[in-house]
Amino acid sequence: MNNSMQIMIVDDEMIVRESLYHWLAKEGHSVATAASGPEALERLKEIPFDLLFIDIKMPGMNGLELLEQVKKAYPETIVIIITAYGSIESAVQAMKTGASEYLLKPFKPEYLSLVMEKVEQQCRLESEFRYVKGRLEKMTRFENIIGQATCMEAIFDMIPEIAQSDASILLTGETGTGKELVAKAIHAKSRRADCPFIALNCGALPDPLLEGELFGHQKGAFTGAVQNRKGYLEIVSGGTLFLDEVGEISPKMQVDLLRVLEAKTFTRIGSSQGVAADFRLITATHKDLTQAIALGDFREDFFYRINVIHLKIPPLRSRKEDIALLVEHFLAKFSQETAKKVDHVSDDALAILCAYNWPGNVRELQNAIERAVVLCKGRSLGRCDFAFLQAHADSMSSPRSLRKMEKHHIEKMLAECRWNVSRAAQAMQINRSTLYKKMRRHGISRNH
Amino acid sequence: MGIEEGVIAVIPIGSVVEMAPKVVAAHITSLLKINARVAAPLAHPQYALDRRRLQYDAALILKAMEKCLAPGDEKAIGVVAVDLFVPIFSFVFGEAHLGGSCAVVSTWRLERNQPGLTVSPALVLERTAKVALHELGHLYRLPHCSDPGCLMHFAGDLDHLDRTPLFFCRYCNAFWQNQLWRY
Repeated sequence: MNNSMQIMIVDDEMIVRESLYHWLAKEGHSVATAASGPEALERLKEIPFDLLFIDIKMPGMNGLELLEQVKKAYPETIVIIITAYGSIESAVQAMKTGASEYLLKPFKPEYLSLVMEKVEQQCRLESEFRYVKGRLEKMTRFENIIGQATCMEAIFDMIPEIAQSDASILLTGETGTGKELVAKAIHAKSRRADCPFIALNCGALPDPLLEGELFGHQKGAFTGAVQNRKGYLEIVSGGTLFLDEVGEISPKMQVDLLRVLEAKTFTRIGSSQGVAADFRLITATHKDLTQAIALGDFREDFFYRINVIHLKIPPLRSRKEDIALLVEHFLAKFSQETAKKVDHVSDDALAILCAYNWPGNVRELQNAIERAVVLCKGRSLGRCDFAFLQAHADSMSSPRSLRKMEKHHIEKMLAECRWNVSRAAQAMQINRSTLYKKMRRHGISRNH
Repeated sequence: MGIEEGVIAVIPIGSVVEMAPKVVAAHITSLLKINARVAAPLAHPQYALDRRRLQYDAALILKAMEKCLAPGDEKAIGVVAVDLFVPIFSFVFGEAHLGGSCAVVSTWRLERNQPGLTVSPALVLERTAKVALHELGHLYRLPHCSDPGCLMHFAGDLDHLDRTPLFFCRYCNAFWQNQLWRY
């Protein structure tokens, strides 16, 4: 079976639309029809078509005018012109405007078969190209971070500068702001770029495990140590070690790491032999480490050792001008991953995305776009695709304590019932007198 | 596998070689194990003649056949000896709509190779059977197949048709069995 395509036939003659429809359906394609150019353009807004058959002679908007508009708005859509009144002039114009083929009807059946084979191959090649291009963009160093906001431009300017030295870097910022991406970008720009980049989440591992992961162990060092094992401090040799959530590590581990950073050697667990440590340390945390130092949870000497260069990654709400760019990036990514052609976000939807506070930052935005693309039925994301954000914002903003929740609910019900206390009491299924008592307790009055 | 229930009517339309509908019916029964019968002939499809093209509109013939479908017949295949067309193509060997009730096959082009060369009656009948089985496949919702060794592969010319064996590939066969079971 051939690869099925979404095809639209645009012709004012019903018998032509029908006969081409039946043949293409027999080829296993999904086919729609339109009797005019404007109708075709409306349908294109809803569904991403792979291929259009367009007749030249149509009342109102002719085929060549439609071709121009389609190629402008949807350049990846393949267009085949079909006409019973061919001329060299119209053929040349059609091909110059971007048509892939120009067919004079009626044509031999095997000719259409050959044309479709060529189109399918073209679609396949374009799809492969998009995939490979996407993978290449993923692999391209430094361009993984998206942002045009001034605060991000400042970070982009700093990265090449700080990458050149071996000084330890501390990245701070809320969760989901892209601290690991920045760490990778720094590594990619450094002289250690050809050596490993190892990321370890210190918050995810208990101390004994973290120690084993970092330092490795000798055979027999403890029960279960049946063979020698290299730790990440050894594996990273020459490269960059990224410790995420460094604020979570225990004081003991902080001492051990401090010793490694100062002496530039370490020993595996259960060994007495020193191993040279050659790595660049980048750490990250969402905590306020100065406060942790004040509370005695974090060592000051370790802090100064890891905080030679400090880079603060701004939260997404501080760079809302980047949301549109990020949305475009994630839309392309997830459209490719889900093989769904979702390539547009409505202005309403974008307004919701820009208004939302993004407590989870870029990671939350990524998840929101992925969810919307997976559940989307057309080619465009609208406000209804992000209604869950509104519900989330409401739940985040609603009060947490029972007393406050009760007051909030009473105020809401009174507002809904236009301060008709009897109606509000009935809606809440309580006595009118009970409601009055609660209103007095919470200090709720109409004039408040 | 036993003979499936349901009848395919093979209907001569106009003046057609007597053997043609019989050969079509025989091939349907032997290959697909479906009952097939040669029905009473229909009149010459003058109503479908396009005087400008001097060809007969296959879609109009199908519409007329649908009105004449007998109650016991599941599907019908018409056999004509006139040149058929559909608006977008210069000619067709046969025509059927995916999931439709009727198909039509023309022997007109199947009797002619290159100008001046005659075709043996046996070859004409074989070609007719192939086109008929292909179109019948469409009636049971089989789309075109990419396997050139399968009857559901689209054959746009006679050379291609002659190279196609009287055989459905395993995938189309499996599809057939499933469709026949549903019907």
